[in-house]
Amino acid sequence: MKKYRTVSLFNPFRLWKYLFKKPVSHDMEDIFTKKNREVLRKDTFLKLKPKRESSPRTAPANLRGFHTNDWDKCIGCGTCEDICPTKAIEMVERLDVPDKEGSFQVRPTIDYGRCCFCALCVDTCTTDSLNMSNEYIYASDDADNFKFLPQSTFLGEEVDMGWQKDEVSNLLDKERVKMDHVLPSDRKSSFVEVVKGYSKEYAMAEAARCVECGVCTSSCPVQMHIPAYIKSIWENDVEAGLRQIYETNPLPGVCGRVCTHNCETSCSIAVNGEAIAIRWLKRYIIDSAPTDMYEKMISQDVSEVIDAKVAVVGSGPAGLGAAYYLRLMGYNVDVYEEMALAGGVMRYGIPAYRLPDTSIDKDINFIKSIGVNILTNKRVGKDISMDQLEKDYDSVFLGTGFFKVRNLNIPGADHKDVIGAMDFLPQVRDFERGVLKLEDIDVAESVVVIGGGDVAFDVARSATRLQMLKYGKTDVKLTSLENEDALPASMDELIEGGEEGIEFFCGNGPQEVMQKNGKVTGLRLWKCLCVFDTAGRFNPEFDDECEQVIAGKQIYIAIGQAPDYDYLPESLSSKVKIERGKIKADDNGQVSDVPWLFVGGDILRGPDLISGVADGHRAAKAIDSYLYKQAKDKKSYKKVEEMREAAIHNTPGFTPKQQARK
Amino acid sequence: MRELKLFLGPQHPGMHGNASVHMFVEGDIIVRSYLLPGMLHRGFEKGMERHSWVNNLALIPRVCVVEPDINEMAYAMGAEKLAGIEVPERAHWIRMIILELARISIHMMAYGGLGSPTGNYTLMYHAHADRNSILDIFEQISGHRIYHQYIVPGGVRKDLPVGIEKDIHAFLDDLESRYTEYRDLGIENPTLVKRIKDTIMLPESVVWELGVTGVGMRSAVNKEYDIRKVMPYALYDQVEFEVPVSDYSDARCRVDIKLKEVVQSIGIIRQCLAKMPEGPVRVPMAQGQSMRWTLPKGHVYSVVESSRGEFGYYMVSNGGTHPYRIGVRGASYPQGLLGIEKYLPGTRIDDAALWVDTMGVCSPEIDR
Amino acid sequence: MNSTNNVDFLKSLVEEKYKVNKTEVIDQYQISFEVEQVEVHRLLSELKLEGWKQLSYLSAIDWIDENEFEMVYIVFNWDRPVHVQIRTRIDRDKPVMNSIMPIFEGCKYYEREAHEMFGIKFPGNPDHEKQLVLEEWDDMPPLRKDFDPQAYSDRKFPVREYNNDFVELNGKKSKQKDRLKRAERIEQVGKRGNK
Repeated sequence: MKKYRTVSLFNPFRLWKYLFKKPVSHDMEDIFTKKNREVLRKDTFLKLKPKRESSPRTAPANLRGFHTNDWDKCIGCGTCEDICPTKAIEMVERLDVPDKEGSFQVRPTIDYGRCCFCALCVDTCTTDSLNMSNEYIYASDDADNFKFLPQSTFLGEEVDMGWQKDEVSNLLDKERVKMDHVLPSDRKSSFVEVVKGYSKEYAMAEAARCVECGVCTSSCPVQMHIPAYIKSIWENDVEAGLRQIYETNPLPGVCGRVCTHNCETSCSIAVNGEAIAIRWLKRYIIDSAPTDMYEKMISQDVSEVIDAKVAVVGSGPAGLGAAYYLRLMGYNVDVYEEMALAGGVMRYGIPAYRLPDTSIDKDINFIKSIGVNILTNKRVGKDISMDQLEKDYDSVFLGTGFFKVRNLNIPGADHKDVIGAMDFLPQVRDFERGVLKLEDIDVAESVVVIGGGDVAFDVARSATRLQMLKYGKTDVKLTSLENEDALPASMDELIEGGEEGIEFFCGNGPQEVMQKNGKVTGLRLWKCLCVFDTAGRFNPEFDDECEQVIAGKQIYIAIGQAPDYDYLPESLSSKVKIERGKIKADDNGQVSDVPWLFVGGDILRGPDLISGVADGHRAAKAIDSYLYKQAKDKKSYKKVEEMREAAIHNTPGFTPKQQARK
Repeated sequence: MRELKLFLGPQHPGMHGNASVHMFVEGDIIVRSYLLPGMLHRGFEKGMERHSWVNNLALIPRVCVVEPDINEMAYAMGAEKLAGIEVPERAHWIRMIILELARISIHMMAYGGLGSPTGNYTLMYHAHADRNSILDIFEQISGHRIYHQYIVPGGVRKDLPVGIEKDIHAFLDDLESRYTEYRDLGIENPTLVKRIKDTIMLPESVVWELGVTGVGMRSAVNKEYDIRKVMPYALYDQVEFEVPVSDYSDARCRVDIKLKEVVQSIGIIRQCLAKMPEGPVRVPMAQGQSMRWTLPKGHVYSVVESSRGEFGYYMVSNGGTHPYRIGVRGASYPQGLLGIEKYLPGTRIDDAALWVDTMGVCSPEIDR
Repeated sequence: MNSTNNVDFLKSLVEEKYKVNKTEVIDQYQISFEVEQVEVHRLLSELKLEGWKQLSYLSAIDWIDENEFEMVYIVFNWDRPVHVQIRTRIDRDKPVMNSIMPIFEGCKYYEREAHEMFGIKFPGNPDHEKQLVLEEWDDMPPLRKDFDPQAYSDRKFPVREYNNDFVELNGKKSKQKDRLKRAERIEQVGKRGNK
């Protein structure tokens, strides 16, 4: 037994004093707002006050109330749907929103019968479009009325914001895993690859940032299975990743280094952070996949299945793309290449510090290993004629690219020290391979590069390296019509080029190559006011008041390349229509009046490597549908059928950008 | 005399949550009894295995409805132990504020809960109104009143809103000023004391036999057996507080200890608010976006001191995005099940509700 | 005595006398031992005598890939605060584990729950086969990894179809089906190697 203190029996009656205090609770009829009142009015026992008397309790600013979704920001990535722990969110198709690159035409609907208001969807929203309002009351007597399509208003009324994502509550990883680069001082004097590539740990960490939304896929010209192979990296299953990649891209080692990566531009994480390093992750898979893993991928012999032969002219991205998929479908493919090595622009255009030979070899060797014949040092039109090809093959694919220099029409441009990019870059590649010696390449102590694209940077940065080797110091100036923020070249080039000591004179148009005593001394520039006219055509306008002369002993021109159709015989060129340097053909590259002739790559569409691969793939499918019916001998193995089907199924459609260009 | 079977709950004002005590009575004396849980949301542990580490944030607070924060804390601590990450200092202080506010709120609820089986409804109304004021504070901090989902692995989900300190201080001052009134109204009210003193005894031997922890244990063994003191988590070793104890555990004593703990909690929160530095409040639990968070392989058991005693999460990770197994050690498991079976018999029918209330039985953490 | 010593004390105490497959010091307040099934009772009794007289937790883990259950016992000593996890593997096909009721009477309901959730038998515990929370359960013990709650609920309860009225095709052809089909195919490609 224990003694306890007790008070008087009457002591608790002191609490009577609270009788006249304001209650801390809220009246039921006060808290309902106007929009919910109609439902409750049916309840006879609740007599609602008119709106002006109703004083709904204001919820705090952090409240996790009903959702709002800003449709202008929302890209339909569906990350909210994925994270929802109660499966309350369902993405519905809304074809009334515009079809843009980097977005889906879907929007989230939320079933408030399931929603637990955890706000994980808000915290993981890639665009910050999904938020929660501080509206917390909704009533309906129909159970089916609890599914909402959140918009920027709630039930048509402006509402105050409640829970919103901030830096602390954010569930995404916005920062890219750091990639090691060779230091500018080290890389300037050699052609060693600048980007070192991810290690396994780094690649897995980078892959873990991906939300698997797949908006990247639709912006990729070949529609690679990007989320799938990134997931394989995250799961440390390189083999599955490799298989995913080869479904849609036979040149992954190359693309993992020099692709224009539209995917990263449209990446949903890039809306508020740094895009997933999709290109480098692809490179990681290829670099870490051993050769026997490739062999496992396609183990069965695919030769001699369909009795039809296809010739491919040019072994660039488009040509190899077409050859690879035609081979997968069971055709005999011969690729004709005029140079000593296969690869076209990959081999002779892009410098080795961006794309070393070893990685091109890895890709091309695999294409060869499945039975594609590549005949090098064979120029069509010289070593073998087009007519011969027409006779020997059932179909011909042209992927000859733009390899000729486009000239600049300014005074003095015909001087011998005014050099075209496509004359210079192959020399650089050959120097790097040891075919040419340093003395064989004529690089002056000071050079000026005209152009703002990737090729211009290739020239400038290659010249820097050669100058370093030759003279021990560099003097490279780069001038372009576009300002630095609007350069067609990628941002990396601008940054890395700057690090290597290139001087930029962006936003200027070249007017005259200055000469003295028959030698080039520099370039006269006028300020460029605008590059395109109001109709969007290329028509630069200059300010002649704002003039400067930059010194240089050589001028390199990298303002674009032109095609070379010399190999087309008279009989064909009369039938083939050429418009602005490009051959007119249908979407798949079939030339309308010459049904056996297909084209792709720069001479059909352009503008980049990966679009060339896509053209090749589409042409392969078109060639197949042109030849398959006619072919007499069709041996069929299950494995080959599967591959055929896959190649046809994975034929890429057009990206929204390409569609707009059409 | 004829033996009758009676049910206490699941629909009974004296029953805490959706469980039912089946009682076999002779006259008004209980001769046999057992608890029947299983009328609540079932399968939490299974559910946790089927949700990713991040999705579980929405599920865990629901294990105990009235005191969700201990679940979040135990889960967060376990995940942090598995991941081997350090929580920023400010987050620790915020967590302690939340946990102590929650402790006050549940002790107030339990104290008010004493009102219903004893017929003292004024007590219940007042206590619940004060609990509501705490819920208002929670709503401002976390966005919700009940399921806060605020303490997350790596810290807290958002920093405290600006000016919340003022509201917390105002509430604490108000509660403190009415503390004597509460005592007068409840455990020092002669009518109530008559009803609750010297009943529902919990001797020390029974504590050890059942494995009772928390208030029940401290009221009987007279030692400061409080996880916050014995193995301090968060920054409980940097605040000063006392652990009220007793060596005579009857219903009144246990309620008395709860009230005294409220005073201690008020002190802890004030110290936290004074000591709390500015700074970051969260570090990411793992690399990447949340749906790809993985934790290293391992087994950990993380415990916190809940209002009912040792509350723990046993967490097993196999290195994946989902927990492999999560076991919840509900603090009221021993007294709620074995206690009711073994030690409720012998008391009167009307004491059963008091038993359940003062022993601290929370059915959701039994049926989980 | 400080807490690091407690862990060391336990480590030497247990490792000296018992065959421990794996010891893991989780932190200064927690240590785990993996032991053989036969050692569990002796070890628990000894720990109880040493002051670890509170059974904090008892449950099981289903390691379905290894076809084993893992029993977990956690005991605690309030004066020397260390949680000790004792874990042991038992056969999954015939899961039997002698009850520890003679040592910790409080285990009665924990074991009953483990039986209900995993189907492990506890000879020595008179009530272990009684149902606890699952009234009228008619399937395999639910915490086993091969129990699929989705399938169970689909079988037991009517499935309700939900229409989503918010779809707006704007007079065009739906792209959703193609996208889903494509996603399915892509998943197949990833799995192909694991056949």
